[in-house]
Amino acid sequence: MTTTEPQVTSARRRGVAVARTRHASARVLAVLARSVAIFVPVFLVATFVTFALRSLSGLSPARIQLGEDATPEAIGRIEAEWGLDKPFLAQYWDWFTGVLHGELGTSWVNGADISTLIGLGLGVSLSVATFALVIGVLVGFLLGTVAALRRTTPIDRAITGFVTVISVMPAFVVGIVLVAILAVGLGLFPSAGYIPAEQGIGPWLAHITLPALALSFDVIADVARQLRSSLIGAYQENYVTGAVVRGLSPRRIFFGHVLRNGLGPTLATLGQKFPALVGASVVTEWIFGLQGFGRFANDSAQAGDVPAVQGVLVVSIALVVSFNLIINLVLARVMPASQRGV
Amino acid sequence: MVRRVLALTSGRIAVVILAAIALLALLGPWLAPQNPLATSDNALAAVSGTHWLGTDYLGRDVFSRLLDGSRISVLGSLEVALVALVVGAVPGILSVYLGRAFEWFTLRIADTLVALPFLLFAIAVIALLGNGLTQAMLVTGVLVSPLFYRVSRAATLAVARSPYVEAAIVSGASVGWIVRRHVWTKVLPPIAVALAQTIGVGFVIVSSLTFLGIGVQPPEPTWGGLLASDLGYLSHRPWAPVAPALLIMVTVWACNLLADAIRDVSGEAGRALANDRKARANRREAAAGPHPAGGSR
Amino acid sequence: MSPLSPDTLTSRPADAAEKTFDAPGTTDVPATEPVLALHDVRITDRVTDREIVHGVTFELTPGKAVGIVGESGSGKTLTCRAALGILPPHFEVAGGRIDLAGTDIATLTPRQWTDLRGATISAVFQDPASYLNPAIKVGAQIAEVIRVKQGLKRRAARRRAVELLGAVRLRDPELVYGQYPYELSGGMLQRVLIAAAIAVEPRALVADEATTALDVTVQAEILDLLAELRERTGLALVVVSHDLAVVAHLCDEVLVMRQGEVVEQGETHAVLHDPQHDYTRLLIAEHDSYGLDKFLAPKEAS
Repeated sequence: MTTTEPQVTSARRRGVAVARTRHASARVLAVLARSVAIFVPVFLVATFVTFALRSLSGLSPARIQLGEDATPEAIGRIEAEWGLDKPFLAQYWDWFTGVLHGELGTSWVNGADISTLIGLGLGVSLSVATFALVIGVLVGFLLGTVAALRRTTPIDRAITGFVTVISVMPAFVVGIVLVAILAVGLGLFPSAGYIPAEQGIGPWLAHITLPALALSFDVIADVARQLRSSLIGAYQENYVTGAVVRGLSPRRIFFGHVLRNGLGPTLATLGQKFPALVGASVVTEWIFGLQGFGRFANDSAQAGDVPAVQGVLVVSIALVVSFNLIINLVLARVMPASQRGV
Repeated sequence: MVRRVLALTSGRIAVVILAAIALLALLGPWLAPQNPLATSDNALAAVSGTHWLGTDYLGRDVFSRLLDGSRISVLGSLEVALVALVVGAVPGILSVYLGRAFEWFTLRIADTLVALPFLLFAIAVIALLGNGLTQAMLVTGVLVSPLFYRVSRAATLAVARSPYVEAAIVSGASVGWIVRRHVWTKVLPPIAVALAQTIGVGFVIVSSLTFLGIGVQPPEPTWGGLLASDLGYLSHRPWAPVAPALLIMVTVWACNLLADAIRDVSGEAGRALANDRKARANRREAAAGPHPAGGSR
Repeated sequence: MSPLSPDTLTSRPADAAEKTFDAPGTTDVPATEPVLALHDVRITDRVTDREIVHGVTFELTPGKAVGIVGESGSGKTLTCRAALGILPPHFEVAGGRIDLAGTDIATLTPRQWTDLRGATISAVFQDPASYLNPAIKVGAQIAEVIRVKQGLKRRAARRRAVELLGAVRLRDPELVYGQYPYELSGGMLQRVLIAAAIAVEPRALVADEATTALDVTVQAEILDLLAELRERTGLALVVVSHDLAVVAHLCDEVLVMRQGEVVEQGETHAVLHDPQHDYTRLLIAEHDSYGLDKFLAPKEAS
């Protein structure tokens, strides 16, 4: 925006502008670098633990394919086929390079490509999770803001009470209640199943609304609580007095100053919430009969399909890591003060 | 600290509820009026004198199953919390003292564990390492341990770098005395808060797993399992999920309440709360009076 | 130091000049009428129901400077905050009256207050860093005030903000514009805060311990800046300080406060040379022993 002033074209000023843009991009790069520095070890350790699960489990594709009374030769042959006779670290390396290329191996149970299987379920789960996040953030935002602005009034107490109640409701309890009231009782929504968005936005929304609602309660509670306390905290800061004295209107102070600063901790909470959301999808997908990622995880685990379980875990870790990366970038944008290396 | 927690109304409520739940877990099987596993032809019966909460799809008494199932939930959540406490708090405290390498290493591990969706991992571990709730809770405990790591590390750091500990060292106090007098009083309350919270989280996880039918053998009653079986018969008995759902929610709520109460009575936060109460009382008084000029906040 | 351009602080860009404000403060009033007048102002704490400030009276006409001296807890800050309408929760003006540009502030609506602040009265405080939003570039915070209060377009507001940063003698105003509060020193922040406070040319500025936390040399520079603003633009000043030297440097009239009471009030010269109250004498005696002339030294040197 500085370079758009035609009348001032001194070289020095241009230098300042360049320095500023460099400043900004350097900041983004710094955040990226720091986040990567945290997440690379996370990813390495997590995948290693995930991979080690197979050795610990002692499960083998031979058992699944041949049954209990297989000859040792047959077992050996099949294990060699799957590369399970190699040393552990070599196996890990093969698997890990595959993961980096997006190949998660093939299922022990039916030989299908796991990446494809997960890809099929991911659409369902991401639809639900995204919708849940949207509901959670919007409603939580509204409740937290109103509670903070109407602090210590009956409105605030009512919201705080409501938030306390929904915060102790596990996703499966919410799910059952929703099915009982909205699907079975009132027949407003289908109680189970999924229709892709390509076959119509309306049916798609109708099918993901209940599971998304079930998942969103936790997000609502966390966002509302965190936003309320950080907004109240921000209102007690001196810069609010400063803005008042400069003659800014209460509305402008709220949106331009208080909200902006109160948003940081709330975003951070959201980042921490995401793994729980992914985990809870197992339960909601079970209740609502969705063939999603969580359902696939559950079924594979029950079937002892180790590569599939490993694939699910890797994808979930990747989801969590990328979500947190996004949160970190947004955080850096919202509150540059966090750049001081807090 | 216990006495001060009990002095708070919220603390008393929390302790009473949790004690009642613990009693249920201890005595539940004996209190149950009927055999929780005995099936009968009287399936999906409504609430009655003999079946206080009705019967399920196999005609088993729901009330008895609820009482009998409390043990698994309580033991499971306690296991989660205690494992997390040991696995998290010990390295958390040591990370302040054992040098930078250990600190870096444990910090990375903690970062990793937080990033893992623990319900997924718990399911994976149970399925692959053997179908038992104990193993699952062990793993879950490890996965939620970063909370304890962070909390105990922060508290220890604050104590280790505080001027009053330095002053105590300079004035020649023994290490044992310093730990008892300063470290304990600063580090214990946050850990107690985390413990109460984790027990609540544990309840949710145990219920979630048993809801999915993971970690327990079918006839054995669990709170989550009761909900799951109710789900199939919602059109027949729409009120059936209320009792187990309420039980889970009240327990989790009591845990959170206890955590808040401990936080309130310990340290700075406690004082802030007391001040806040006073201020609120004053504001209420003031609301009756005229408003000051220009309150544009 | 960049030279002060004489028209920086008085000229408004053309598109803003047409915009008029219906705030009570910006209507024309005779020059002799005080911008701010306090008459027997009493402030009580509603919680303890105790009176904290027992009657403060002074008048601030354009271009004048009034100083309030006293130890911490003497009620000087509360008095100022009352005049700005930003008393902390559960404090209230229980007696007397405060007129801001001819209007009793007790009758002001929140909307009117918003219009008056910044345009008629503004303030700077101790600990300038905390009075700026840590997440927003300092220049943008000044430009925001200009945009909102004068209705300037983004780019014009930006240009004006840079001018103001130059006018408060910040070196390299372009660079400072794009910096965050944590990147600036205390003295620079206080200049930024002053620039934000005078952005829409208020008629009165309250400086509440504005130089207290600063180095002695920086403090002198800030005081010079305030004196210069007053001289050139007719800005009326209320200077609050625990330091008699600061007040003596700037003010025509001094109020000496102690435990909520004005123990002595009068022309600065008269109060300094012929103190009537023991407490004033004590303050002066302290300065004699610790060097009241320390603020005089840099003046002679320059």
